[in-house]
Amino acid sequence: MKVERLLWLGASVLVFAGFIYLWQLICDYRWVSPVFLPGPDRAWQALMRGMTQGDLLVRWIATIERMIYGWLLASLAGICLGAVIGSSERARAYIGPTLELMRPLPASAVVPLAIALLGLSETMVLAVIAFGGLWPMLLATVHGFSAVEPRLYEVSRALGLSRTAVIFKIALPSSMPDILAGMRLSLTVALILAVIGEMLASRDGLGSHIMLAARAFRSPDLFAGVILLGVTGLMSAMLLGWFESWMLRWRESR
Amino acid sequence: MLQIDKVNLTLGGHEILRDVSANIGSGEFVCVVGPSGCGKTTMLRLLAGLYQPSAGSVTYRGQRMLHPRQDIAIVFQDYGKALLPWRTAHGNVALAFEAMGAPREGRDDKIEQLLVKVGLGGQGKKYPNQLSGGMQQRLQIARCLAQSPAVLLMDEPFGALDAMTRQGLQDEVLSIVRDTGATAFFVTHDLEEAIYLGDRVIGMLPHPGRVAITVDVNLPYPRNQLTTREDPEFLRLRRQLFDFIKDAES
Ligand SMILES: Nc1ncnc2c1ncn2[C@@H]1O[C@H](COP(=O)(O)OP(=O)(O)OP(=O)(O)O)[C@@H](O)[C@H]1O
Ligand SMILES: [Mg+2]
Repeated sequence: MKVERLLWLGASVLVFAGFIYLWQLICDYRWVSPVFLPGPDRAWQALMRGMTQGDLLVRWIATIERMIYGWLLASLAGICLGAVIGSSERARAYIGPTLELMRPLPASAVVPLAIALLGLSETMVLAVIAFGGLWPMLLATVHGFSAVEPRLYEVSRALGLSRTAVIFKIALPSSMPDILAGMRLSLTVALILAVIGEMLASRDGLGSHIMLAARAFRSPDLFAGVILLGVTGLMSAMLLGWFESWMLRWRESR
Repeated sequence: MLQIDKVNLTLGGHEILRDVSANIGSGEFVCVVGPSGCGKTTMLRLLAGLYQPSAGSVTYRGQRMLHPRQDIAIVFQDYGKALLPWRTAHGNVALAFEAMGAPREGRDDKIEQLLVKVGLGGQGKKYPNQLSGGMQQRLQIARCLAQSPAVLLMDEPFGALDAMTRQGLQDEVLSIVRDTGATAFFVTHDLEEAIYLGDRVIGMLPHPGRVAITVDVNLPYPRNQLTTREDPEFLRLRRQLFDFIKDAES
């Protein structure tokens, strides 16, 4: 088991190294003009320079903060709303169709509305992130709450658990796998929307960094930004993955 | 102590129980047998306060059963669904104490004692999916005992277990019920199990569900898996109930 995992890890590192090498080859032989595609070496230099001398680090942190705040907002709202809707059959019947109507709306479609209401402000960006991240959270939580084993509600009645205890000790933990899956999706959405929001509202962050670099044909800077985005996505997914397997440790243990 | 008086129950337009009456005395062990679908579970749910009769009354110590009570514990047949998979064995028993608002201090010791009592000593840290079926059912029983119930309602609690585990648990339940002086209502479709455990066996018939026969069991305590089952009285009762079920099916 351990050996197998190590092999997989080794293989993925190899694939990654191969990809970088290919990238370098393409640039060395100038198959693509360096104006558009800098080699990994130049992208790396730009990244290091931006981190140590420029304000790339500050921008990166700004983007991560936006992503996390928006995501937490979306998660909190999604869990609360989802709990209310999911635990009542009537609420599901009444609100369900509206949700289905709103869900496929791309979050970017509400950007003009958000700008009209909130201006090109930090609040606007957060609102867009939270709105986009809300849907996966909401749907996952509704599903989790409506799928609680009915027998457990009977057990709670027989034991005489209070209403709040039933929510926090039965329904919420029982929905946790769904909620965590929703949080994972929502985190990806939050990163994407943080970048889009920064580009549109020109708030200082990776999104604006990338856009400015593109306009000025500074492709190494652009790639440095993209690399950081990738790293952010990867790291947040990994952290959440650990959190998830810790929260759901009762599942795999056997 | 528990009384069902001329109860009718209609669910979703179907008449499920008709004119069911039964009187369960304090400390009595009553078993219910009958073919599948005759309303055994329904009767237990009425006694638990999970259903309300359409006509007639269910009373507990003279009061109407309007909702489930903490001193009436229910052991469900599907133990896998009745346990909280995200809580350890210890945590599952703790749930009963949390519901009662029992003081925190000394709780851990009490829980361990209960686990020992059902033969799960030292297994407190395991999650339900790490326990065998028999152990999970034991755990559910431990949680019910944590309620210090005056009445134990059990719905085919050993239905899904193998014969050996089953006999072991029968003896454990018998001794627990005798130790605590609890009143027991036990649903099963195993005639021998009913006679072995019960002071009285109620036989039910379907379409609509009704009480068709009541048999007193006068077998000496403590009961023993070998001698009790060979007792002529045991065999006579088994024959009587067997004939009853056979007539019902023909
Ligand atoms: N909620 C319900 N709504 C409508 N009909 C029901 C409901 N619950 C049970 N019934 C019906 O009532 C009858 C008795 O059901 P019950 O579960 O009490 O039988 P049982 O004696 O426990 O059977 P088994 O031995 O199979 O467990 C069945 O015909 C069943 O279909
Ligand atoms: Mg049943």
